[in-house]
Amino acid sequence: MVMRYEYAVETEDLAKYYIMGPVTVKALDGVSVKIRRSEYLSLMGPSGSGKTTFFNMVGGLDRPTRGKVFIDEVDIASLDAYELAWLRAKKIGYVFQTFNLIPVLTAMENVLLPMIFTGVERDERIRRAREMLTRVGLGERLDHKPGELSGGQQQRVAIARALVNDPVIVLADEPTGNLDLHTGLEIINLLKTLNTEKKVTIINATHDLKMIDVSDRIFWLRDGKIERIETRAEVAVREVE
Amino acid sequence: MSREESVKFPVSEAFSFSLESIKRRFGRALVTMASIILGISFLSFLLTTGRIMAVMRQQSGTAVQAYQIWMAIIAILICAVGIVNSMLMSVTERYKEIGTIKCLGARNRHVLEIFLIEAFFLGLIGGAIGAVSGWGIAALWQYLLPLMMQQGSAQTEALVIAARLWLEFNVNEPLIFLSNPLIGIALSVFIALISSIVPAYIAAKLSPTEALRYEA
Ligand SMILES: Nc1ncnc2c1ncn2[C@@H]1O[C@H](COP(=O)(O)OP(=O)(O)OP(=O)(O)O)[C@@H](O)[C@H]1O
Ligand SMILES: [Mg+2]
Repeated sequence: MVMRYEYAVETEDLAKYYIMGPVTVKALDGVSVKIRRSEYLSLMGPSGSGKTTFFNMVGGLDRPTRGKVFIDEVDIASLDAYELAWLRAKKIGYVFQTFNLIPVLTAMENVLLPMIFTGVERDERIRRAREMLTRVGLGERLDHKPGELSGGQQQRVAIARALVNDPVIVLADEPTGNLDLHTGLEIINLLKTLNTEKKVTIINATHDLKMIDVSDRIFWLRDGKIERIETRAEVAVREVE
Repeated sequence: MSREESVKFPVSEAFSFSLESIKRRFGRALVTMASIILGISFLSFLLTTGRIMAVMRQQSGTAVQAYQIWMAIIAILICAVGIVNSMLMSVTERYKEIGTIKCLGARNRHVLEIFLIEAFFLGLIGGAIGAVSGWGIAALWQYLLPLMMQQGSAQTEALVIAARLWLEFNVNEPLIFLSNPLIGIALSVFIALISSIVPAYIAAKLSPTEALRYEA
């Protein structure tokens, strides 16, 4: 039996400053939060409020100026290069606004890639990639390259790629930012369904208010600080008032 | 942490990733290879011409002049600069891709491998094209040109000489026949690898956030 921690992510006084000559930009400034396992969390805030910075810190893509990030109760600052690569490959799935599929690889090959890094055996990884792509509705598009797919379809491939290693967390940075309203809604619903089905924690940076309807909690970010934390119900009540 | 929990990227996977990259971006590969093809083709042309002339004069060794070899070396140095330049461009074009595979678990070493294997193949293919074309041009030059210049019986005579030379050159000395293209290809691979070390290293050291922020 694998041990299950209550919190998938914890941050302690997390800060990231960018020093640009005489100016210091406080992209994140003392964020302490706990995100529960299998929670669907939206990080909302205006442009420049620090959403992407939070995404990078929690995803182990960049080092904070101050403070700590724990994933599964492990302080990621204590990981060496090997362990950090493993964390990115196995524990975290990433979804980007610009999809970021490898342009020369087919949908299938894009989804296979993370399993090559985690050493999944060949037949098994083909089986899982096909299953995952079918799950996101692209069973008929396995051999298409990203350039031959619509934006929404590319984002589905990216979601399949992010989930195929059964990560603890999926980090999504404005996943609907490049999609039209309808396609955006489909992607939101897909993420929500996968969140419920696979019990994967989803952390979603966005300024798309449609996301509120599927979120368990919403973190409102402003100038690198958490302004308030609300549940979906609290947002609804506030909106009525 | 157990050995199981460590990212893998077998060299065979790196090879197929690099090959796909070359195949599906063949235009860019050709640009990178253009200078190599020209440089190696020139070298191969000189070596082959020298060898043919030596055979015609019944000498062993080669009739290439030292200054010609220097010209070839300079041509190849210029082609190295060309490779550095186009590899740097190719790294820049692929910032996003590098950032993405780092998110998927690639370590610096894996990125380095991908770019160096690509350089190896570009050197191999470019070298082969260059060596064979240089050799072919030299052979045509030596054998066909006299033929076209002659008329009547002189032409027949030239044809006989050409055939004899061809036999002597290709059948009696197959190693020498092969060695020039092989030297060209080996040199080409070597130069492609050396010129790609710095661009590949830059790609490998990119931080994922920097790489992802880049807008092509
Ligand atoms: N590499 C960097 N160098 C300097 N400043 C940076 C860098 N990255 C981010 N910043 C600054 O940090 C602040 C937060 O940026 P961040 O990208 O996290 O915002 P965001 O909430 O994701 O915005 P958006 O909604 O526009 O994507 C901004 O003021 C930004 O200019
Ligand atoms: Mg952002």
